[in-house]
Amino acid sequence: MPDVRPQDRRPVPFRGGGFRPHPLPWAGPAVFLVLLAVWEGAARAGLVSPLVLPAPSAAAAALWSLVESGRLWLHLSASLQRLVIGWTLGTAAGIGLGLCIGLFSLARAGLGPVVAALFPIPKIALLPLFIIWFGIGEGSKVATLFFGALFPTIIATAGGVDSVDRTLIRMGQSFGLPWRDVVLKIVLPGALPAILSGARISASIAIILLVAAEMIGAEYGVGAYILLAGNMMATDQLIAGVALLSVMGLTVAFLIGRAERWLLRWRG
Amino acid sequence: MNLSIEGVSHVYGRTTALDDITLTVESGRVLCLIGPSGCGKSTLLRLIGGLERPSAGSVLQEGAPPPGCLNPLTYVFQDFALLPWRTVAGNVALALEHHRLGRAERAEIIADVLARTKLADFRDAFPRQLSGGMKQRVAIARALAVRPAVMLMDEPLSALDGQTRELLMDDLVSLWERERFTAVYVTHNLAEAVRLGHTIVVLSRRPGRVHATLTIDRPLADRQPGDADLEQHVAHLWDLMRAEAEAADREVLDA
Amino acid sequence: MPRIARRLLARLVVSGGLAVALGTAGLLAPAFAPSSASAAEDGGADRVVVGALRFTSSAPIFIAYERGYFADEGLDVAFSFFQGAQPVAVAIASGDVDFGLTALTGGFFNLARNGALKVIGGHFHEVPDHEGSAVLASNQAYDAGLTSPEALAGHSLAITQVGSSFHYMAGRIAEAAGFPLSEISLKPMQKVGAMIGALKSGQVDSMIIVPHIAHALDKAGAAKIIGWVNAYAPYQVTTLFTSTRNVAERPALVERFVRAYQRGIADYRAVMLDQEADPAATDEMTRLIHQYVYTDRPYDKAAPSIQAGAIYVNENARLDVGDVAAQVRWFQDQGLLATDFDHTDIVDTRFVEAYNVPD
Repeated sequence: MPDVRPQDRRPVPFRGGGFRPHPLPWAGPAVFLVLLAVWEGAARAGLVSPLVLPAPSAAAAALWSLVESGRLWLHLSASLQRLVIGWTLGTAAGIGLGLCIGLFSLARAGLGPVVAALFPIPKIALLPLFIIWFGIGEGSKVATLFFGALFPTIIATAGGVDSVDRTLIRMGQSFGLPWRDVVLKIVLPGALPAILSGARISASIAIILLVAAEMIGAEYGVGAYILLAGNMMATDQLIAGVALLSVMGLTVAFLIGRAERWLLRWRG
Repeated sequence: MNLSIEGVSHVYGRTTALDDITLTVESGRVLCLIGPSGCGKSTLLRLIGGLERPSAGSVLQEGAPPPGCLNPLTYVFQDFALLPWRTVAGNVALALEHHRLGRAERAEIIADVLARTKLADFRDAFPRQLSGGMKQRVAIARALAVRPAVMLMDEPLSALDGQTRELLMDDLVSLWERERFTAVYVTHNLAEAVRLGHTIVVLSRRPGRVHATLTIDRPLADRQPGDADLEQHVAHLWDLMRAEAEAADREVLDA
Repeated sequence: MPRIARRLLARLVVSGGLAVALGTAGLLAPAFAPSSASAAEDGGADRVVVGALRFTSSAPIFIAYERGYFADEGLDVAFSFFQGAQPVAVAIASGDVDFGLTALTGGFFNLARNGALKVIGGHFHEVPDHEGSAVLASNQAYDAGLTSPEALAGHSLAITQVGSSFHYMAGRIAEAAGFPLSEISLKPMQKVGAMIGALKSGQVDSMIIVPHIAHALDKAGAAKIIGWVNAYAPYQVTTLFTSTRNVAERPALVERFVRAYQRGIADYRAVMLDQEADPAATDEMTRLIHQYVYTDRPYDKAAPSIQAGAIYVNENARLDVGDVAAQVRWFQDQGLLATDFDHTDIVDTRFVEAYNVPD
């Protein structure tokens, strides 16, 4: 090596870094709080008419009066009951049908196109039919949520079954596992991650459909409350109701996240 | 129990994968199947184990499986085929659960095979927590648990790195010394074949035919990597295969 | 309603709420500033937009337009047609429409309470000696004993929405019959069509509806008329209303509009409230109305429905202030409206004769 003057020695320039998101847990709540503060400030200063956009404090007051009058629980329990029944039945039926489509060629060839054709239909559009079929009572509301949850679950489950490693199934067969055991011990657990992410989607869809389902003949329910607020031009109640829906969505997402962590703990 | 493969041919669509294979798998011996890639080794193994039906010919079991045998023809797969949602013990249990065994008896078998494969300390670990070599040990333990008459091993060491492979080969040899199991062992690695095989069957490239059969008499326990006669066998096998392998390689590229 | 959304945005921008945030507010504000019905710069007619529903009950306004009464007042009227009462009120609040002619609803009162709207005249009114809204029972419920509105307790009744005029009428019937409204199970169906469907199929026991639909259903044997709303309460169903801005900034224009509208009402009442008197005049007016109502049907098919739908409209657009006050109180009692206002905040009596005014 020839002599190198010290001033010609310099560190290699750093060119890496970036392109790697890292968690900033404070950012989400901070942005949320700043938005709320700006919104509240604008309303307080009279820059925004309460009709155009009610202040967060007005929405909170509407929510509080709902709590105080005890009607919050009436609305919530009515909606949760519909949600739990409709979504649970829809998800159970969806897993069953999805498994059939994933496992049986006849079901795949026969039902696959039907599912593909029915999935994109907005269930809101079918509400009048549901009312004729299931009545204006709980039947049509639960049915709306049921069908809303059914199709994404079928598609997620069938996709999950397809993605199960075939060598695992061959392995099961090579050890002489009965068909039932192959399905219950290999196919179903293998499809579970897909089924759970389907459940996230179907639960969100069910919550979205809640407002539509409660349009007809509902006295109580978060959706009915929001519709009433809209009819009454009570925008503070409207915001309060929408916030309730949002909290329901967050809660469901949290619960499914918990279920995922427990059921899929083998993924680490 | 011997296995007799008689005139087996297999056709996928218009491609003939195997053509008139006749072999005997003798009890208590390891038969290695080697051949260039795409020669139908793995297909032959699936036909032997009944995972696929041959287009022609038949695979026959001769004699009764040994007493206590739960699954006479048992596979060990190249990629281990462990259920990621079951622990080591759970994966072994999978092979036993559908058999009529008492709870205690099942637990005993599991403990026994885990001890024999040196996995006793890992019984509650999930596959993702194990190295490749450990995973294959679990798969071997699972195979042993059903007391097979014949083990059908499909490139069991090919997914492992060289050092792990050496370790596991030693384990397999000592296992064979103790158990004297019967195995059909598919590999494309000639060194593995000469270390583990009592009989080595060389298949030709597609359509797979029996190209040559080689018997190595030296006991498995006495074979060491680098033994001169084993090296000679490797060289001989390579001579047999070289042209075939080159042709097969080009065939793949042309496809 | 992109137009309304734009208006709302414009308001935000104009009010400066987001001026800094948007940065370009200086550019946006003039472009998006509400341009509702300012007097024409060139000295021509004043342009006003009327929000209307395609009902026979809106006929006086069509008559005033077709016969040039608005033009006589120097008004250039354009119609904007809506599907329901609520959107008309929203459109006036947002400045897209100047005058509206629809039913009073809870949502309307809330908009008015926020200072956006003023009731300036009366229109359809339930009066005892003229057919108005009917109470219908499904055939099943009728056979089971629901033969008069007094028997509605314990039955279901279809309404469009909570806070609608149907909701209010049910309340007044319950009040008159002496049982709490909570004993009627109200079923919001969103649309009149859905209400009719539910009644026909027996999914609800009863509903309230305008007379020509009621007669048609009764005649077809699909349901039974069991009573009339006018037997229970005099009721100011629909009103003429405008934006608070218009009454504050352009009262003269509002006055001119009301004058022309009153002439339309006079013509309508003379012919349509006694259709037998002059068949030729009735036919002529029906043809005029047919340009706006049931336009998808040939005249022969449309005429009976138009004529049957000719409900009572207050003379000279008189306004039953007492009943408007009662409606506000009723909605407040139901907990649907804030109690911080009364009818005086939402009614402007400068333009028509007010009667039945509370002390």
